Amino acid sequence: MVDKVKLAEKALWIRQQVLEMCARAGEGRISSSLSWTEIAVALYYGRILKFDPSNTAWGERDRFVLSKGWGVICLYPIFADLGFFPKEELDKYCTPGSLLGAYGDSVPGIEIVWASIGHGLGVAAGLALAARMDKIDCLTITVLGDGECYEGSVWESAMFAGHHELNNLIAIVDRNRRCTIDYTENCLRLDPLDEKFMAFGWDVVCIDGHSYDEIFGAFKNIRSRRSRKPLMIIADTVKGKGISQLEQNPMAHVIIPAGAELEQARKDLKCPR
Amino acid sequence: MRDAFLDRIYEIAKEDQQVILVSNDFGAPALDKFRVDLASQFIHSGIAEQDMVNVAAGLELAGKIVYMYAMAPFLPMRCLEQMKVHMCLRNVAITAVSVGAGFSYELSGPTHHTPEDISIMNAMPGLTLLSCSDSGMAAAFADLTYNNRVSTYIRFDREAVDPRYESIYDYSDGIAVLKPSKDIMIIATGIMVGQALKVADELAKQGINAGVTDLYRIKPLNEELLLTTIGQAKCVVTIEENFLNGGIGSIIASFLLDRGIRMPFKRLGIPDKYYHEWGTREFMRSLCGLDIKNINISIYEWLKNARLLQFEA
Repeated sequence: MVDKVKLAEKALWIRQQVLEMCARAGEGRISSSLSWTEIAVALYYGRILKFDPSNTAWGERDRFVLSKGWGVICLYPIFADLGFFPKEELDKYCTPGSLLGAYGDSVPGIEIVWASIGHGLGVAAGLALAARMDKIDCLTITVLGDGECYEGSVWESAMFAGHHELNNLIAIVDRNRRCTIDYTENCLRLDPLDEKFMAFGWDVVCIDGHSYDEIFGAFKNIRSRRSRKPLMIIADTVKGKGISQLEQNPMAHVIIPAGAELEQARKDLKCPR
Repeated sequence: MRDAFLDRIYEIAKEDQQVILVSNDFGAPALDKFRVDLASQFIHSGIAEQDMVNVAAGLELAGKIVYMYAMAPFLPMRCLEQMKVHMCLRNVAITAVSVGAGFSYELSGPTHHTPEDISIMNAMPGLTLLSCSDSGMAAAFADLTYNNRVSTYIRFDREAVDPRYESIYDYSDGIAVLKPSKDIMIIATGIMVGQALKVADELAKQGINAGVTDLYRIKPLNEELLLTTIGQAKCVVTIEENFLNGGIGSIIASFLLDRGIRMPFKRLGIPDKYYHEWGTREFMRSLCGLDIKNINISIYEWLKNARLLQFEA
């Protein structure tokens, strides 16, 4: 059994790290990283993903593709904690010569990531198709932003994965309902997102993306699914989760708290003094 | 050309199951055989070029040897950012096989003309840009890309052109002098290499000794060989069925300027506009001075007015 109290402690520590790294560097999408923190924690600490920090090229590892690349910051503390690279790297985030940048192209543990959206689902489909061709026993898992689902390429890839019945492919949409300058349903309606993916040939489950019970529920028996369809998990989340000012701001995407707001954010996240 | 390439890819893929061909609903007689005999190595991406590149990248990252096959107006332009992200930023070694350079689809109108691809692809860092001039070269490009895996864009014409190189030619230089000259060197690429050879014949009738060089790898440019080739002539003409903006004429002229070399230089290519007219390939070329007659006149008048060569009376 996974200890959910420990997972919650990890998530809080990760949020603190994300805030401090981005505040120090003045760069990074804090709110995009905080909305899927529980999902990242469940994937990496909850024994969902197969991986080996000492052998990132392990052939049977699960392939994890972060399609919403700006949300990568929450993976950095996790990867440092798991031993993919030394924790000191977190302090050097976004400084000249540092391993870790606003999105990490050559960071150990990162399969593939871009800040440019709309690519990950297709790449994940290619990886999943190749794994099936080569009979490799692994899953390909990708996390997309909901704003990313405006990209036509996402739907091209959704059609492709549905047609090819890539049941070794799992996509998670971080449905925080906000893109850069407003709520998604004010900008251009995305709902009913679940029915759209169903129509494209996917199994769809909708969960609370901050509930470990629901995240683990969605991944239950994930390696013995009978369905021939790829699986889409639409995770309802709160953008900027844990920092009250970000949770409430429709334009939270690019905000990095400073001054009094940073102090308040630190209080919200119980950052150690 | 494309059939010669696909025939060779078929042979390679038959021996190596890691070879995958992805098409965006673009066909060819030679492709039909591949689709039937090697069905598990053929992927139809749908008419969805962005997904075609993304899926190709995923397949390549998983160890496959991937060829994307599409019509030139849509590969690269419909999916240029995907190509940037994968092929240039991460050097994912996919080969983009693009058919229909310049006015290849002369009767399909300006949406299907591709006068931009040299200009666009030359701007993409890390990419190898090949421009095929005959069917023998096309087949050789299949082996070249299979044996030397780097991000590659191959620019094919729609027309079949009989081989003019020896069958064992190795195509590693990127530049070939097909007809030497110490007076005027015409540098052409793709289908216009044949046009340049015909123009050289016409000029010969007027007492002008014009050479022809085939620039079949535009990027990376073989700078030293280009210098040697150009250095042997008194003046240079470039001919291409691509926009003058950013085409091989611009590329070579910039290169010479950067090297501090000044010499009489004339660029012939497609001006800064699209053409909505309908007609044969040579008619389309005549609209921008790229038919044999007009190229011949342009070069002759230029040489005469600039007093570059002594002409026979």
